[in-house]
Amino acid sequence: MGAPRQQITLESLPDYARHVLAVAESRAASYPLTSQIKLPRLELTAHLGPGALADAIGNAFVPVRADEAEAGACGVFITHAGIEGIPAPATWGNQLYIPHAFATRLAEAGLRGSYFHDLDFWQFYDPERHVGAQLMMSADGFPPWEPGAPLRAFLHWEYAARGMRLTHAGTLGLNGKGILLAGSGGAGKSGTVVAGLLNGLDSVGDDYVLIDLNDGVTAYPLFATLKQDPRGFARLGLKQRLKSYDPLNWQGKHQFRVDDIAARPIPASLDIAALMVPHISGNLESSIVPVSRKDAMIALAPSGISQMPGERESGFRFFSQLTSLLPCYRLSLGTQPAEIAATVSDFLARGDA
Amino acid sequence: MMQQSGIYAVASKDIVFESFDGEAVVLDLATGKYFGFSDSGSRIWEALSSGVPASELIDAATAVGTVGAGEIDSFIGQLLEFGLLVPASGAPALLSSELLTQLAQAREPLKVDLHDDLADLIVVDPIHDVEEPLGWPAVKQAT
Repeated sequence: MGAPRQQITLESLPDYARHVLAVAESRAASYPLTSQIKLPRLELTAHLGPGALADAIGNAFVPVRADEAEAGACGVFITHAGIEGIPAPATWGNQLYIPHAFATRLAEAGLRGSYFHDLDFWQFYDPERHVGAQLMMSADGFPPWEPGAPLRAFLHWEYAARGMRLTHAGTLGLNGKGILLAGSGGAGKSGTVVAGLLNGLDSVGDDYVLIDLNDGVTAYPLFATLKQDPRGFARLGLKQRLKSYDPLNWQGKHQFRVDDIAARPIPASLDIAALMVPHISGNLESSIVPVSRKDAMIALAPSGISQMPGERESGFRFFSQLTSLLPCYRLSLGTQPAEIAATVSDFLARGDA
Repeated sequence: MMQQSGIYAVASKDIVFESFDGEAVVLDLATGKYFGFSDSGSRIWEALSSGVPASELIDAATAVGTVGAGEIDSFIGQLLEFGLLVPASGAPALLSSELLTQLAQAREPLKVDLHDDLADLIVVDPIHDVEEPLGWPAVKQAT
């Protein structure tokens, strides 16, 4: 038995965060791999060891093709207690863990962070220095969803500090113009993205896309991953289309990439012309009818805010601004993927979209 | 008898709100609960949260005939119960003629809808579970 592990409270949290960042950074020479990822307006350098996370970081992203002059940089140290000089992660004490209080306490100290109890998995970020640390008990001591969208929390914090936002929404586009699909799971968002991709439309991603509101609403790709449950996978004909596919992920879903099924390379960005709230109608034909901005906001914001640690108020303001900038519609989904795609395609081709 | 006649204020800095084409959406940052207001409800929320006394609001609203005093009274009760407003002291604010005109033009009954399907994700810990339709681990209340 080793020494009892430190128990963290709200009071000691900022000091612990600074300690983890300092220790992870001080061992910079001991990480075998350095992975540089070129993302929209950002070059992220991850320092880590080999394994599933390194593989995921190598595969999950949509790399930026062109050099961007205004790109910033950030660095993340992915570390664990198996590395010499790295202490075992502390554990949360007896205090009730309230995520909003946790995030607020760190924000007051100029920091960001998240914690996953079951594994004593900590992530901390200093947005001023653009440096992050992920501390785990062992090399594979990460939650099962982490490889699907690796470094997601760090990107969320860094982009939020730049006034941009990781947004939980699907995208479809044509000739550079696109729509955002908002809504929690089960609304038909992912199925719509796959239906569009299989029928000639573009997408800059499902689940998490990067949104910038500086000049209209622009969506950028970050993660290339798409997911479908086995039923959707079969219904959309992916079983035949994808020659080989990995075992089901932690959610029991098939995981594949946008470029596995897209007709064209993933576009560098889409100019978003509308916010759509999909729902499975049961009707044969799809339809697009206006919906109030209030309803669209309530479809868009909750999952995007709750799935990301911290930055809740800034998220609420950001998604409010996004919703106010766009016409909003309800997309009632028909039963045929090709017909759904044609409906979206016709909408995008129209002058008023 | 009217239960609510005083001045109110937004309950805390965790209550944030925005208006969309005249319809308010309120988020309680601490609990993750969203509240969507009807058009008349949005006007009443706007007036009360800016310090217009309930008694003045009730007089003005009933005079333009949009909503009744009893409806406003129970609506205020609901806002207090949801933790969006608290009784306050201080100088009363005036009801603007613009807001009164908007209230007169409101078409929907006084209503606030609570959307808390994702609230569990935000507020509680520490037992994590996977709720597949959400596509992300939902957090369940510890027992």
